[in-house]
Amino acid sequence: MLSTDLFTQIGLGHYLVLSALLFCCGMAGVLLRRNAIVLLMSIELMLNAVNVSFVAFSRYLGQQEGQIMVFFVMTIAAAEAAVGLALAVSIFKRFREVNIRYFEHLKG
Amino acid sequence: MTPDVFLFWFLALTTVLAALGVIISANPIYSVLSLVMTMVGVAAIFVTLGAYFLAGVQLIVYAGAVLVLFVMVLMLFDLKHEIHAFTRGPVTGAIKIAAVGLLGGMIVGAIALSANSLMKTENNGIQTVIEGDSTKALGKLLFSQYLFGFEALGVLLLVVAVGAVALARAKGGTHAQH
Repeated sequence: MLSTDLFTQIGLGHYLVLSALLFCCGMAGVLLRRNAIVLLMSIELMLNAVNVSFVAFSRYLGQQEGQIMVFFVMTIAAAEAAVGLALAVSIFKRFREVNIRYFEHLKG
Repeated sequence: MTPDVFLFWFLALTTVLAALGVIISANPIYSVLSLVMTMVGVAAIFVTLGAYFLAGVQLIVYAGAVLVLFVMVLMLFDLKHEIHAFTRGPVTGAIKIAAVGLLGGMIVGAIALSANSLMKTENNGIQTVIEGDSTKALGKLLFSQYLFGFEALGVLLLVVAVGAVALARAKGGTHAQH
């Protein structure tokens, strides 16, 4: 009974688990990859996972505020991607590669 | 199996597989394409949750603008091959994967443990579940209660646009090549 319910009754928990899985994918990307641009992409992935849980809560608790937060998160994510890519461009201009280990020389 | 349920499982599977593709593919171009797939999947999930406006914004801002930015920078760099795409050393890699697995297990366990209270709030709020299009209410809320945040974000975007151009044009600071 429980097992069929789990597959046929989609509730808040399903969306939260999906969000957790997406977040873990993003975190694994941040930890495992060495390319700074792939790192930025993994951060976008994590932000999106959080957005999914915001919208799910907003839907199941009947509150609009969650969607407002998603709006703000999206804007911040776009800003963060722009700044991160600009940093990557300046690193690439200096070292001809965007491996994350070159970011330890970052100053000035 | 109702269409709603099938849609959820299909979208969940597609999104998670695409997210895995982002971190597994060694070529960054394939990573970007997988990320586009993930963003489209997340937008579709927003549609199933009734957030139509956010789904549109997700498609335009992420799949449209941000990922085009990523693709442009990647093409600019011409990074088709990478020598050290992944972290070095099997031990540290195993520790990192274990840490991620631990985090995922903890979150899922917490959700499973709190399933009862989640169901309760769900049933309490069943009358207030937003049906249909919520765009109008969203706009009213954004331009009344959250107006300050909205304007602050506008200023932030302006600062970021100027700052990104300044950073990308900088001659390298202390690392300037003479």
